[in-house]
Amino acid sequence: MSVITTIPARRFSRFNAERWRATPGPFKVGAVILVAHALFAILGVFWTPYGFAEMGAGLPLSGASWQHPMGLDQIGRDVFSRFMHGAHIVLMLSFAGTMLGMVAGTTLGLLSGYIGGWFDEVTQRIVEAMISIPFLALALVMIIAAGPALAGEPVLIVFVVGLVYAPRIVRIARAAAMDIATREYVAVAELRGEGTWSIVFREILPNAANVLLVEFSLRLSYAPILIGALGFLGFGIRPPTPEWGLMISENRNLLIASPVTVFGPGLGLASLVIGFNLFTDGLSRMLGQRPVAGA
Amino acid sequence: MKNLIEVRNLNIAYGGPSGWTNVVQDVSFEIAPGEAFGLVGESGCGKSTVAYRLLGYGTINSLVQTGEVLFDGTDLLKLDAASLMRLRGNRIAFVPQNPTTSLSPGMRVGSQICEMIATHKALPDGMTMERRIVELFTLVGLPDVGHRYPHELSGGQQQRVTIAMAVACNPDLLVLDEPTTGLDVTTQRQIIQLLADLRSRIGMAMLYVTHDLALLAQIADRVGVMYAGQLVEVAPCDKLLSAPAHPYSRGLIASIPTNDGTDRQARSLRGMLRRDEMSTGCKFEPRCDFATGACRATPQLLELIEDARSVACMRWREATAPLAPSVTAKAVARTAVRSESLLSVTELSLSYQQPGLFNRLLGRTSPAVVREINLNLAAGEVVALVGESGSGKSTIARAISGRLPPRAGIIRLDGTALAPSLKDRSVEELRQIQYIFQNPDASLNPRRRIRSILERPLEHFGIDADENRLETVLENVGLHAGYLDRFPEQLSGGERQRIAIARALLVNPKLLICDEILSALDVSVQARIVELLRSLKETQAVAMLFISHDLAVVQQLADRVAVLYRGELMQLAETDMLLGAPLHPYTEMLLKAAPGLKKDHYVSRPPAVQGSKAIPGVGCPLAGRCPRQIGNTCAENRPPVQVTPAGIIRCHIPSEALVRHSSPTDHNGQAEQIRSMS
Repeated sequence: MSVITTIPARRFSRFNAERWRATPGPFKVGAVILVAHALFAILGVFWTPYGFAEMGAGLPLSGASWQHPMGLDQIGRDVFSRFMHGAHIVLMLSFAGTMLGMVAGTTLGLLSGYIGGWFDEVTQRIVEAMISIPFLALALVMIIAAGPALAGEPVLIVFVVGLVYAPRIVRIARAAAMDIATREYVAVAELRGEGTWSIVFREILPNAANVLLVEFSLRLSYAPILIGALGFLGFGIRPPTPEWGLMISENRNLLIASPVTVFGPGLGLASLVIGFNLFTDGLSRMLGQRPVAGA
Repeated sequence: MKNLIEVRNLNIAYGGPSGWTNVVQDVSFEIAPGEAFGLVGESGCGKSTVAYRLLGYGTINSLVQTGEVLFDGTDLLKLDAASLMRLRGNRIAFVPQNPTTSLSPGMRVGSQICEMIATHKALPDGMTMERRIVELFTLVGLPDVGHRYPHELSGGQQQRVTIAMAVACNPDLLVLDEPTTGLDVTTQRQIIQLLADLRSRIGMAMLYVTHDLALLAQIADRVGVMYAGQLVEVAPCDKLLSAPAHPYSRGLIASIPTNDGTDRQARSLRGMLRRDEMSTGCKFEPRCDFATGACRATPQLLELIEDARSVACMRWREATAPLAPSVTAKAVARTAVRSESLLSVTELSLSYQQPGLFNRLLGRTSPAVVREINLNLAAGEVVALVGESGSGKSTIARAISGRLPPRAGIIRLDGTALAPSLKDRSVEELRQIQYIFQNPDASLNPRRRIRSILERPLEHFGIDADENRLETVLENVGLHAGYLDRFPEQLSGGERQRIAIARALLVNPKLLICDEILSALDVSVQARIVELLRSLKETQAVAMLFISHDLAVVQQLADRVAVLYRGELMQLAETDMLLGAPLHPYTEMLLKAAPGLKKDHYVSRPPAVQGSKAIPGVGCPLAGRCPRQIGNTCAENRPPVQVTPAGIIRCHIPSEALVRHSSPTDHNGQAEQIRSMS
């Protein structure tokens, strides 16, 4: 691995109009939605019409208007500003949590699939036990176990998402590794006397990347729902921070008085999840189509 | 005579991101009723594409298509789905390449055939479905296996089932797409025999698509040679083989290794089919020895040169003339000096599963796959392991390489015993034995560049990896430094196999294990890899354990041959002696089954004692199949090892008796059989 100096980026570089046209429709729609979300989130970090925690920005519960497109909540905070500021929080929490689950799940899954034997048996039984618990219940148990000191910390949310996802990713990675482990290039590496880590990360991981990438974006698309659900139940981020699930929870009493305050975050979550799903769908179609000899 | 099917000016192009690719260009041929037409060419020449069009199939994938396929006056390419469905299977039937994947695994084979007959309502009058199916099984030489599932049948039997399915409706035309490619030599010959037999009985026409000219010699009346989507020569089979007119046909025929001892390497094909460097004129021009400037500019069209024979080459007169098989004495320098033994295998027995603790306590053992093999390899010597699939050739190689710890026996390298499992072997020992796998698609990591594929072993074994070293090794295998930055998927099969060989050679091994490394490649590519291995053997003095099912290739390369059958070493002898006088009945069977370039009227000899299965682990495994079995002795006792001048042999029949039988009869015996048949 010492001298790979040859412009590996060439294959991926430059936005190519030809290639964009060749991509499947869902991928395009999904990508546009996600890019919009990302820009919106970046904008929300630097500028919002009002401060996200600024009380009395207008008349509480006055409904939608040009100044307040998503209305105002009980204590007169501008919901649109809160919505904008919350966008990056949702995205970052989902991304970090999924990433954590991905790293842990992939490592354990690939090792388990390649090594096999009792290691595989033990890992799989633990994983099965974790999967058999409904994910929300598992998440709540973990939050409660973490104790009040950590409650509401973003780190805890990231860990919870990671731990809920890891076992599911383990299964996928294990299946891919078991298949790839029978390939002859793995045998070649074994005959060379390579160690387990080297085989798993040099030979198996690059070839499982297709499957794992699709799994990653699929998991990513459910992460906002999980985080939103935790927020809604009050186990998520601590209140003044405008996380979308939390916002829906806070404003749910106002559903009759000022329904527009709930619509904003709800639509945001829905469009994000739909965007992720379309993107993933297109991505898996593209990767599935791509003929890779022997992989 | 009226033609059964006529292909006229067929053009097919596929569209891709880089524009159009012409897959088939101006192909025209016709098949008369009852005729067997062969279509031959290297992989990627479009032969299967043409074959599928004869069923009107695959018309959706191609984006440009002109020409017509006339079957009984109707153009199949213009028919709608419903009428095609009535035609397919009923009047035009298809036999696929791989029976294992084309039979539905969850359905009994009887009902799969039944489905075929029911769809086309092709049950003959006054006959029940059950009787018809049994009749079909008899026709293809199977017992009534209708209640079995596909996985319960062997590969040969599965192919017989697909053939039975194809002939179930008495079709007029049978399209066969490489039907014997995945099968053993002996099974392959039985299938060919069956097809020839069916043809004479049912009188159907056949289109036989294959890359193996030697097989076509056995079955086809006329042969069309395809190159880069064009027919370059159409000729009666025997004429094509004896005097090919097109330079490509010549090269193709010269590439085929034969058992007749002639050395034709000199004239095999160079280069490879590259669709990206086609000239506007003759497609074959870049690889042709006869090419002139005019060839590059003028497209070559098929023209009639004599009765029923046409060729697409303006210089066919020159090309036809000097094909005298140069019978040179084989120049392979046999390593005469039997220096110290490099690898020695003693009393090696293998089984797939290590008995678990529980079974070991009960004294149970799993059956041995390989039994008591003794084998020696001198430095720089090439020993071939030959046998049908399931004979344990690769299993032995796995044990030597350390991937399968043996149940008993010792493997020594350079006098020191090797540890049974891979983990306990030293890095140095690992370096000295290098393994090359059958399928280069799977043995190179598709996500790594050639450079890192080659550098990794060097780094691992602590050898200095400089640019020069990589370039030299690539040159040694006939490639250049430009390949270093490519991915395996950008290489052709032959090039990938060269990379695999380069990777093995790079670390200076003493022993190279070549596990069927040619079987995934085209004939012309095979010929060049054999050439490469021969030169490596002379220049690098590396010993090779060459595993193959192809005796003809073995003959060109090996010093000694070990013949295996069901895990037993049947014979070990010098190559020339073994091929000249096979002695062992099994070796004889293998040799006879290998198709030559002439029609040889192969008839498989019936076993001497029917249905006498050997007692597992005791009797001779060949019992029940051996044409020269002597009573029950063979099935019940372990055959003794006899030492012959050329090597060793394991058989109950005394070696003197074997000599007397085998040497003069090779031809007489066959003649007798032919007489008794007619």
